[in-house]
This record gives sequence, structure tokens and C-alpha cells, in this order.
Amino acid sequence: MKKLVTALLCSAALGMPAVQAQEIKSATKFGDMSTVSQDMLNRAATDSQNFLQTNGDYAQQRFYPNRQINTTNVSKLRPAWIFQTEVKESLETSPIVVNGTMFVTTSFSQVYALNARTGEELWHYVPKMGPITTFCCGPNNRGVAVSDNMVYLGTLDSQLVALDARSGKVMWKTEIADPEEGYSETMAPTVVDNKVLIGTNGGEYGIRGFMKAFDAKTGKLIWTFNTVPENSVGVWAEKDATGKDLHRDIAAEKATLAAMMQPAPGDQKQKSGAVDPAAKVVPVADKTGPAPSTSAAPQPKAAQFYKTLGGGIWQNPAVDLESRRIYFVVGNPSPDLDGSQRPGDNLYTDSLVSLDLDTGKYVCHLQYIPHDVWDFDAVSPPVITKVADKDGKPIKGVLHAGKTGYVYVHDAKDCSLVRYSEPMVPQENMWTLPTKEGVRMLPGANGGVEWSPLATDPNRGLAYAINLHQPMTYQVQNSAYPDGKLWLGGAFKVIPSEEQWGNITAVDYNTGKIRWQVKTPQPMIGGILATAGGLVFAGEGNGLFKAYDSESGSPLWSFQAGAGVNAPPSSYSVEGKQYIVVGAGGNTQLDYKRGNSIIAFTVD
Amino acid sequence: MTVRRLGTCLSAALLVSAVLPVSVRADTIDEKAAVCSSCHGEKGVPTEKNIPIIWGQQEGYLYLQLRDFKKGARKNEIMNGIAESLEKDDMKELAAYFAAKSWPNLDQASASDADVAAAKTANSAVGCSACHLDHFQGTGTVPRLSGQSHEYLTKTLAEFRSGERANNPGMTSLAQATPEPDLKAMEAYLAGL
Ligand code: HEC
Ligand code: HEC
Repeated sequence: MKKLVTALLCSAALGMPAVQAQEIKSATKFGDMSTVSQDMLNRAATDSQNFLQTNGDYAQQRFYPNRQINTTNVSKLRPAWIFQTEVKESLETSPIVVNGTMFVTTSFSQVYALNARTGEELWHYVPKMGPITTFCCGPNNRGVAVSDNMVYLGTLDSQLVALDARSGKVMWKTEIADPEEGYSETMAPTVVDNKVLIGTNGGEYGIRGFMKAFDAKTGKLIWTFNTVPENSVGVWAEKDATGKDLHRDIAAEKATLAAMMQPAPGDQKQKSGAVDPAAKVVPVADKTGPAPSTSAAPQPKAAQFYKTLGGGIWQNPAVDLESRRIYFVVGNPSPDLDGSQRPGDNLYTDSLVSLDLDTGKYVCHLQYIPHDVWDFDAVSPPVITKVADKDGKPIKGVLHAGKTGYVYVHDAKDCSLVRYSEPMVPQENMWTLPTKEGVRMLPGANGGVEWSPLATDPNRGLAYAINLHQPMTYQVQNSAYPDGKLWLGGAFKVIPSEEQWGNITAVDYNTGKIRWQVKTPQPMIGGILATAGGLVFAGEGNGLFKAYDSESGSPLWSFQAGAGVNAPPSSYSVEGKQYIVVGAGGNTQLDYKRGNSIIAFTVD
Repeated sequence: MTVRRLGTCLSAALLVSAVLPVSVRADTIDEKAAVCSSCHGEKGVPTEKNIPIIWGQQEGYLYLQLRDFKKGARKNEIMNGIAESLEKDDMKELAAYFAAKSWPNLDQASASDADVAAAKTANSAVGCSACHLDHFQGTGTVPRLSGQSHEYLTKTLAEFRSGERANNPGMTSLAQATPEPDLKAMEAYLAGL
């Protein structure tokens, strides 16, 4: 792993200013009102003034405890202020609010600090990025993390940046991974006990995914957990976590693997002739010649495929301070649609994974879709909450909303699946294998539930998910990894003649039954917030931002924002007045109308 | 492409590969970049219709193309020869240099209403703008397409489709997944933006 020094040299080589050691020291001069203590972070779930974490609190419940704005007065909600950023491109930011200061991010990894009462700009940070930036679904950024008097950001060129919360000045900067190999960042970090936790994008790029922990004061790497172990074969599962047949040809996969594992003498087919076995260690990325585009024959390079097997992490881990464990979900294997180059279950892709917070050591996992060939990755951030076990006894549980359209309920102790919900969207033809011509399957590759976080109401035992219905065809095509470039192994295509729509679904996670569902005219992406005022807030691609009764789903209020509202809302209060805030910037992935507004609402 | 044009290109390429090692050792970036102008244009307007605009193109994209030409991952006799003698630092410097220039206007005709409609349908099915962005302006390693030479767009998309341009299998799959008439419409639409 790269040490800080190397990282600084690298960034200097890319033409970015190296950060001076002195600057790090000034970080210890603690300020006043912008300081966020670990105690504040721990108690974020009951903080009705701030919004300290991407998904509300470490458990990621997205349940805001303030009830000033509620079912009786929400009809009077109106904009308190609108701030326009300089970047008109999709907004996925979760606004963070600390004692009257708000931090939001825009596409291209820019950060704004705003006065949360007036919307006035306090500072604006524009990272100097290296030339190599990649992404799958837009140059998005989903927000910052705060701790002490620092603001933490992951950038599109895969740097972790710590800013002074009062000035926006860079305190330190470190490279998370090499952007030229397809690594990039769009997720918000999570800070806990002096550790900055962050995963990586790149599931569409032949990376080897990870969760890393960095020292919050210095940026030094503390631990790395590779989401793909060297042996990723698993148990050759024939069914998904819910018992559906995956239609795998296990015998063929085993044969491919055996061929890949063969020692050098068996490698006569190797173009370069007889070479020593060390040649097998050469990463695929170093191969210069283009591979034949149709042949599925395994190359002797193989069994090295764990290095390019993907397994990105798109969203924040949930943190359980009691057990000192974290829970996160891992994305798809690479290449997305072509399983022929990656025999086995492809652990831990498409899984819920739990680690020890302090060491990064594996604790447990559950794989939703072994050997995925549909990009049905696990992306929506998990939620820790009390759930009923199979006998109805309350246990500590973990919820995850899948692209499959299920809400999965796990036992936090061993990651095992307690139940899964009724499907929230139509499922058809699951799991039919992608073909050369393209085959239709529902849901489409964006879900079900995409990266959009769930909200929960622990008092009602409900989880709120926003869904897409987007019929697609799945097409497979074999190709070698093109060295840090997009690698889908085929294509997904929306079927233009079929109707698309979305919905908001309230699921009773103690039974798996759907409590209520509201259909929306467009597929939903962004996020949702529940509040103690009996409300849920969610936006749509057509610019409408709406409040619903969280018990019944009745729409109670709506506002036309002029651009797609495809970001998770937050709430906070300043001088005793509660606000709801959301970004309206549209969405690149679904091509919803772009904008540049951060809009804060309140009632008089 | 006519035979005469091909001749011009090839002789320029030969000339270039003969002088390039010297020019790369040249002190200033202006000198290094001068060899490129004989084809990519003194003012950024390419000298032939099937030569792409590189002025104002995205920096990361330019760098990766030079890298791929050098490795042979993208095949083009002319550019393979030119990139051969470039070192990583030269490529980075050239990419930064050309990215900082302003994109020239080729004054290409706007697409017909029918082409615009077909292009929009194709875009909504495959999501070209999810990567190339709202105005097809690109970013980082994703190229700008708006206002690019029509002939070049046609040539390179056909080569993605056939697999001849093999340095981005993702684009190959997407080009194959898009019916040919839709791609034609898309090319006209992009060139006219
Ligand atoms: C003799 C003519 C010629 C010269 C000189 C030349 N190029 Fe090119 N260049 C081309 C052609 C033709 C193509 C299109 C190749 C293809 O169709 O694949 C091209 C393509 C490129 C591309 C890919 C652009 C894209 O949109 O994909 C880059 C980058 C590039 N050239 C950079 C340079 C640089 C930098 C130099 C100078 C060091 C240079 N070229 C000199 C003819 C030339
Ligand atoms: C998933 C992301 C993605 C999507 C979707 C996508 N592209 Fe691309 N496209 C790229 C990338 C990345 C490149 C750069 C290729 C390379 O690295 O050589 C590219 C290159 C191109 C080029 C070559 C430009 C040049 O200067 O040579 C054209 C033309 C193009 N794309 C057109 C399209 C069209 C038309 C669509 C929709 C049908 C589309 N793209 C969809 C990512 C995408």
C-alpha cells in the first residue's frame, strides 16, 4: 500500500500542489462552533439540531427526530432560501449541517460551506484534479463527512482530502488508489474514532475493490480490506439468497478455473512461448496486445482475475459502536455482464459484509447474487435497526434494499438472512442469462433500488425505499480488460417502447409485507428522509419534491424545483426553526433535467 | 478518403516520425506540439476531415489515447508511429497543452429534425450522455463529442462497432447495441452541436 509520502509525490507528479507538513499541524488548533466531537457523532440519531452524517447517524436510519415540521403544518412548507452552485450537473449530495453551517458537494467533487439559515456562501473548495478521472454514472459526489474541525471528501481522481471546516483550506490530501487503473470516488466518507472510512468506485473498470481506513488527523492508511479475496470461488452456489435458480453452468466454470490454475508447463498455447511461471504474475493490465474479441478461452494469465474482479463500494458503511463492527454492501463483479472470465461465486461481490472497525478484519458476509452477470450489485447503504427475528423476538438487524426490488433483513450477529420483503417492483425472467442478441429481464440493471439510501421509522417498523421500473435487455460480449477503461462485458439497454415508472414503497421489515406504495411517473433515484413529524420526503426526476404521510403514503405537499430532485434530503434546525434541505441538480445516469440548486424549506 | 488524401497523410506521417525524436527533445512544449499541427491544424481545425479535433479535447482522454496508440491498443498507422517515441511525461504534457486550447468551430450543419429525434431516442436507450454528459462535452477520460468532425465520428464509431478500434470494449458493445440508422443520426446530431 502506498504510504503518504508516495501519495504526495504522486500528486506532485500529476501537477497538484503537495501539501506542506506545517499545514497539518495547524489542524490541531481547535475552533469553536464548527467542532464536531465523537460524542456528538455517536448521538446523532437524537440530535434534532444538526445533520451530522450522510445517512443521519451511524446506524444510517435516516430518521430525523425533530417534529416541528409535521403532518399538520407541512402544507405551509416554503423555500427559506435557494443557493445556486456554479456547477450545473447532477447533484447527489447529502447536506451535512453543523451548528448552523451546511456542507454540500456538487459534481466534480466541489464543496460549498453555507450559512444554513440564510444560504449565504462561506467558502467554496474546487479540487485541482489530475487529468485522469473516470466514472460509470456521472461525475457525481454524494457528500462530505465531518469530525472535529475537519471536513472530509473523496474526489473523482481518487484522492482523500481533509479541509479546515472554517476556511475550506486543504489540511492534508492522500491518494486512495491510482485513478489510471480505474479507481475513483463519488461516495461520502464516514468518520468514526479518528478513522476515515471510504470504499471505491470502479466496478465498471476491472479494479479490485476495497474499504480503507485512514487516520483522520494525518491521512495515513490504517487498514485495507479487499472486497475480493485471492480465492473468490466460494461455494458454487446455484441459487441466489432468496432461492431463485441462477442458471449457472457450474461444470463449465470449474473447467475454466482448472484451466486457469494450470501450472506453466501446460501453457503451450501461450503466445510468448515457454516462460517461467513468474510471468503469470504480470497483471492483465500490462498485456499490450488486444485479445481476440470473441474467444472465451481462458488465458494462462488467469487465476489472477481477482485483481480485476471489481467489487466497488458505493455508499457509506453503517457503524455499530456496541460491537465495534461496520456493515457495508459490495458492488458487482467485473466485467458486469460477462461471467466467462471469472469462474466461482466472485466473493464478496453483491454481498453484505461486516468487518471489525478497529482492525478491518472480516467478521461475516451474506452474498445476495453469486456470480452476478446482470450488474445487480448491492449499492443502497445498509441500516442497523431492531428487527423481529423468525420467532418474532427483537434482535439487532441490518436492512438492505436491493436492485432486485427486495428489502433484505439480516441478523447483525452473523449476517444471515432473516427474511426478505415482497418484491417492490415487477420481476420477470429472473435470472435469465444475458445473450449476444440481448434478453429482456426485470428489474432493469438500475433496480429496484439503486444507490438511493433507505429511510426508516423505527417506531413504525417501516423502511421506505424508492424504486425504478425500467425494462432492459442484457447483452453479453467477451473482451479483455482494456487497462483502466470501462469494462462492461456487454451492454444493458432500456427498451424504448416499454413504459417506465417508479415508486415509493413502505415495507414492514418485521414481516416483509408492503404497507403502502405510491407510484411515480418516472423511475426514482436519489433518496428519502423520514422524520418524527410523521413525514417522508422524496424528490422526482421531473423536478417535484414531495412530502408524504409516513404512515399512509398520502401526499401532503409538493414543490416544483425546476430540475430533477435526485438527492437525499436532510433536516436541521437553526435558532429553533426546523428546515428540510435538498439538492435539485437532476441526474446524469437517468438523464433527468440538470440544475444547480440547494433548496432549504421551512414553515413560518 | 481519396487516394490523394491518403498520400498526404502518409507522407506527413513519415516526415513526422523522422523528425520526432529531435522534436521531443526540444525544450518547449510549443516545439513538441508543432509536429501535431500539420494534421490537427495550426488553429485546431484539422487539415483533413477524418482527422479529429484535439484542441480543447479532455486532457485525460488525450493522454489515454496517446498511451493506447503507443501500446498499439488503438491501431492507426499514423498515430502509432507518432506515439512510439513519446514518453509518459511527453504524453501528459501534450495532453495538457492541447486540452488548454480552445475548441475550434468547424461550422458543420445542424442535424435535421428527424436526426435530432432519432439521436435523442438512441441516447435515451443507451444513455450516451450518462458518460459524455449533458451537452456531450465530456470530462476527464470521456471525450467531448459535440462539434467533432462528422467524418471522423462516422469513421471511429464504425470502427468501434467492427471491433477495429479495440481500446474501449465498452464503447464497442454500446455501438453494437445501437442500430446503425440511429448511430448515423447520432453522428449528424453530435457534429452539428
Ligand atoms: C500525419 C498526420 C498526423 C499527425 C502529424 C498527428 N496526428 Fe494525431 N491523429 C491523426 C489521425 C488521422 C487521427 C485519427 C486516428 C483514427 O482514426 O483512429 C489522429 C488521432 C489523434 C488522437 C485521438 C483523438 C481522438 O479524438 O480520439 C490524438 C489524441 C492525437 N491524434 C494526438 C496527436 C498529437 C499529440 C500529435 C503530435 C505529437 C499528433 N496527433 C500528430 C493524424 C495525425
Ligand atoms: C459508459 C460510458 C459511455 C457511454 C454510455 C457512451 N460512451 Fe462513448 N465513450 C466513452 C469513453 C470512456 C470513451 C473513450 C474511449 C477510449 O478510451 O478510447 C468514448 C468514446 C466515444 C467516441 C470516440 C470519440 C473520439 O474522439 O474518438 C464516440 C464517437 C462515442 N464515444 C460516442 C458515443 C455514443 C454515440 C454513445 C451512445 C450510443 C456513447 N458514446 C455512449 C464512454 C461512454
